[in-house]
Parts: sequence; structure tokens; C-alpha cells
Amino acid sequence: MLPDGTTHIDGEDDIVYVRKQVRDLASGIGFNLTDVTRIITAASELARNIYRYAGKGRMKYAVLHQRGAVGIELEFQDEGPGIADIPQAMEPGYTTSRGLGLGLPGSKRMMDEFHVWSEVGKGTIVTIRKWKRNN
Amino acid sequence: MLDSNVSVLKLRGILFVTVPAEPGDDLINHLQQKILESMEQHEAKGLILDISTVSALDSFFARTIVETAQMVGLMGGRTVISGMRPEVAITATQLGLSLGNILTALNMDRALDMLEGLEEEEWDR
Repeated sequence: MLPDGTTHIDGEDDIVYVRKQVRDLASGIGFNLTDVTRIITAASELARNIYRYAGKGRMKYAVLHQRGAVGIELEFQDEGPGIADIPQAMEPGYTTSRGLGLGLPGSKRMMDEFHVWSEVGKGTIVTIRKWKRNN
Repeated sequence: MLDSNVSVLKLRGILFVTVPAEPGDDLINHLQQKILESMEQHEAKGLILDISTVSALDSFFARTIVETAQMVGLMGGRTVISGMRPEVAITATQLGLSLGNILTALNMDRALDMLEGLEEEEWDR
């Protein structure tokens, strides 16, 4: 069984580390290559958002077991400025930085479950989940 | 230190660059600068950027590739991106990434054919 845990995101180098760690986790659970790539890409976008907007934060990871299904849960937390308008932030192409505005909507498309909690001045928590297909 | 991770080869007037498998932001920015310097230094007419070892393409990385191709274009060169893996192509499309009008090829061999073909067309005009 894979352990649950936390990875700190304090700098750009940690984005590479997050990708590596998510790859090991997702491959370890047995996701196929395309799903592993989807999960890594979503994690990379969300880790970069933390670095870009909040400066630092963390990723919590967990392996899920529910009614015989196996999945992965990644939670990206920061105490940054927060998102004032979540629906707007979910629109493709919308960005308040120099980015492409694909991070949140793109990550949502690649995962099975996606949830954003945010409060201005307090921070942001983005939770993503992907379930392994039985094939 | 970064330099040892990136090699730019020049062959028949074309720069060949293989992007490292897990590039960090610093390395990507370094790669971009090195490519542009090599364009000038070698008076290259084109660039083949091979991403066959890259296992995940996020939006920052994609934007840097697009920008690099635009910059190479401003310097008078053509860029071909080669070797995108199937799972990367699926993910990049889902993410909503687009490489604009950058040329792409299945592998470096085809990319070279493409650049040499373009050059012949330009001669024929």
C-alpha cells in the first residue's frame, strides 16, 4: 500500500519534484500511461499556480479505496491571495498573471473530480481526483 | 551547471536540440536562450526541437516552445517540433494547448525532410 503524505511547494524546483512524485504514485496505483500523463499535467499546472500566485504551499496526496475502486486524490493548498471570482478563473483563457489561463479549466477536464475552495486573503484549496478504470 | 544538460548540434545549417526529459523552468528558459544564441552564432536557417523524451507538457512549457519558435522566426529561421508522444498529444489537446502554426513532425528524420523541402520550395520561387 502506498503511503499518504504531503509535499511542500516552495520554489520552481518543487514543481519538477511534484511531477516526479505524482508519476511514481499514479504508476504505482496502476493507471495507464495516458491517465498518468493527465494526472501529472494537472498536478504540474496546479503546483505552478501555487508557486506563481501564492509563492508557497503544499500538495497532499492520498490513495483512495471506495467500493472496490482505486483512485488518487491530490489536494493543492496555499495561504495566498485567494481567487475573487472562481467561475471567471475557470474560464479558458482567463488569467491574472502572464499565463495561458489553461491551468484550472484544463486540469478539470483531465480529472474525474475537481473542486476549488477559495477565500480572498485566506488562500485556495484545489482538490482533484482520478479513478482507475477497470479494463 | 545548466549548460551540461543541453546540447545544440548544428548539421547542414540546421540546429538540432533534444529537450531533456524532466525540464524545470530554469532549464527551459536556459534552453531558449541557448537556441537563440546558437541561431546567430551558427547562422542557422532552421531549428528542430525534439520532445520525444518529454513525458508531460504543461502550459508553461508549451508557451515557452511557442515563444521560442516565434523568436527563431523573427531571426529568419523555421522551427519544427518533433517526436511528441501519443499520450502527450492527447493530454495537450485536452488541456487546450495549441502550438499555433508551428510545424510538427513525427520524428527528427521527417522534421529534417520538412525543413529541406521548405528550402527547396523557396529556391524554386
